[in-house]
Amino acid sequence: MPTDGRDQPLAELRAILLGPDRAAWEAMRQRLDNPARRAEDVAGVLADAVRLRSRPHPDVTLRRALQPLLEEALQLSVQSNPRMLAEALFPIFGKAIRRAITAELDALLQSVSQTLEQSFSWRSLEWRWEALRTGKPYAEIVVLRSLLYRVEQVFLIHRGTGLLLQHASAKALPGANEKQLETRDPDMVSSMLTAIQDFVRDSVKEAEGENLETVRLGEISVVLAYGPDAILAGFVRGVAPSGLNRVFQENLDAIEQKTAEALHSFSGDTSEFASCRPRLEACLLGQGRQDQGASRSWSARALLFGLPAILILALIGWWIYSAALERRWTDYAHRLESEPGIVITHAEKRGSRFYISGLRDPMAADPAALLPANLPSAQADFHWEPYDSVAPQFALPREFASLKRELERRAFRFMTGSAEIPPEQNFLLEDVGAQILSLIQAGAALGQSVRIEVRGNHDPAGTEEFNAMLSRARAENVRSALIKLSVPADRLMALPEDRARETCSAVEEQERMFCRSASLRVIEAP
Amino acid sequence: MTLKKKICMVGQFAVGKTSLVRRFVDQIYDDRYLATVGVKIDRKDISVGSSPLILMLWDLAGEDDLEQLKVSHLRGASGYIVVADGCRAASLAKAFELQKRIAEQVGELPFVLALNKADLREQWEIQAVPASGPGWTVFETSAKTGAGVQEMFAALAEKLLA
Repeated sequence: MPTDGRDQPLAELRAILLGPDRAAWEAMRQRLDNPARRAEDVAGVLADAVRLRSRPHPDVTLRRALQPLLEEALQLSVQSNPRMLAEALFPIFGKAIRRAITAELDALLQSVSQTLEQSFSWRSLEWRWEALRTGKPYAEIVVLRSLLYRVEQVFLIHRGTGLLLQHASAKALPGANEKQLETRDPDMVSSMLTAIQDFVRDSVKEAEGENLETVRLGEISVVLAYGPDAILAGFVRGVAPSGLNRVFQENLDAIEQKTAEALHSFSGDTSEFASCRPRLEACLLGQGRQDQGASRSWSARALLFGLPAILILALIGWWIYSAALERRWTDYAHRLESEPGIVITHAEKRGSRFYISGLRDPMAADPAALLPANLPSAQADFHWEPYDSVAPQFALPREFASLKRELERRAFRFMTGSAEIPPEQNFLLEDVGAQILSLIQAGAALGQSVRIEVRGNHDPAGTEEFNAMLSRARAENVRSALIKLSVPADRLMALPEDRARETCSAVEEQERMFCRSASLRVIEAP
Repeated sequence: MTLKKKICMVGQFAVGKTSLVRRFVDQIYDDRYLATVGVKIDRKDISVGSSPLILMLWDLAGEDDLEQLKVSHLRGASGYIVVADGCRAASLAKAFELQKRIAEQVGELPFVLALNKADLREQWEIQAVPASGPGWTVFETSAKTGAGVQEMFAALAEKLLA
């Protein structure tokens, strides 16, 4: 071929110039084309490559790339040969499960004993009521209202370095006398806690791989929760309830989940954990509650003991008050009884009302007016039967009034045009004279000076002048006749016709007779 | 951004680790912890350049024939200080041995060597520090006078942030 002749020298030149390299290229090409060779090459450096990517700064992308593969591989492994994985995990899981069961049983025992202790106490009733009222679970109320403890400091500690990632402390309680847990620098406490853990683990052979779970010192205890990369520790004053460990563990789990990356690659920068602060604060249970609780418990105690006490006091007060009231009513009834003209036949208290019944002289004092100021008249029911009392203070006035009434009904009749007292009226005259004397006597007994007005009247017949004269004469005649009958003259006044009275206008003689008269009126003067 | 780092003090007994820390730190735990728990923790806030740094100093109990250094305490440390007593050549040998053990069991970490008791220079058995390898930074310090103490800690801090 013509080209052969031309290319021959070029090929030779190429062979001279690139001969040794060509062999190397050829070998390289064969290695690249051969998957088996390539796999061998990668296998040689794979471990180093992975190590390089994870150190010194862990590479997230590699981990992320491997994650689905690993998950799938694990899944496949479980499907194809579950026994192998189970055997591999048993030492870890077995131990973890045993510990979890022990912890659960401990918690159960504690809660059972607590329940037994609290089921029938006043406090538990109060808590159950609060749970019902607020709709919160009873257990939560118990933890919240357990006044025997208070988480005062919470530390989030990096497990590998013992360095403090976050710290939260309960606010100082109002009231300076309240003791507040004072600790050293939280950073130092955090490291020291880790050191003590190491110390315990180093000192006790069986404790290897185990965690320090509680530290107690007098009334202070340290609650510890562990995660793969962090520890959550709380300084608790008082007796920590069993639920507290769980609260810590749950919060720590949430923190670990949220900051897994940061925890894993932690190199001293704690600012990444500022977002965990609310979780730490959530562990500050009983925060400010010891005080609040004290006042709560005070109010609860006030409610529990105060209410019955108030009721009892109120009952006693009511009893004393009603006894006093009844006493006052009885006193009042006694007083009424001694009152002249009043006879009590029955007095009793019915409910809040007081019933008094009896006899009462109409002239006797008004019982309602006699009520003392501290007895409400609205509570009183009176029932009085009227009667005439024979007591002198009623008999005398009554006699006086009756005499007066009778006397004023008397009238002397005259003949037409005459002022002479007709003889048939002499009996009447004597009668009236005796009555006036009795009246004067009765009036004197009552301290009254009695005078009698005698007025003469006339019928319509005759002149006015004559009639005026006639009526005066009639009055004078009656007065003189009465004086003759021993009635003191100064007690008698003869007066002419009373102008104020309607003039007698009777037409019939029968009626006119009543107009021709002299009548009497009793004037009382003290 | 404030960084926190855990630093350990290691060395033979009575080389002056606790005294060095005492000379350096702001807050001190009672020395009794050292005897009981085997470690005492102190804190020092410093600045490297413009960045603040909190050093948590773990003063580990000195190693002697009876007491072995608890390497578990070094877990999570960012660096350490090996202390030797210039007056005792054996303490330097111990320092080398400890450094080797830590490197093997914990890993390669930044560290400095402190030759303490520089105030007793005339009584020193060690005249020259043998170059034990790359990465060795040696300071002559005196816990008594304070000489070299700040410089040593500052140098380690810089190594931590490097």
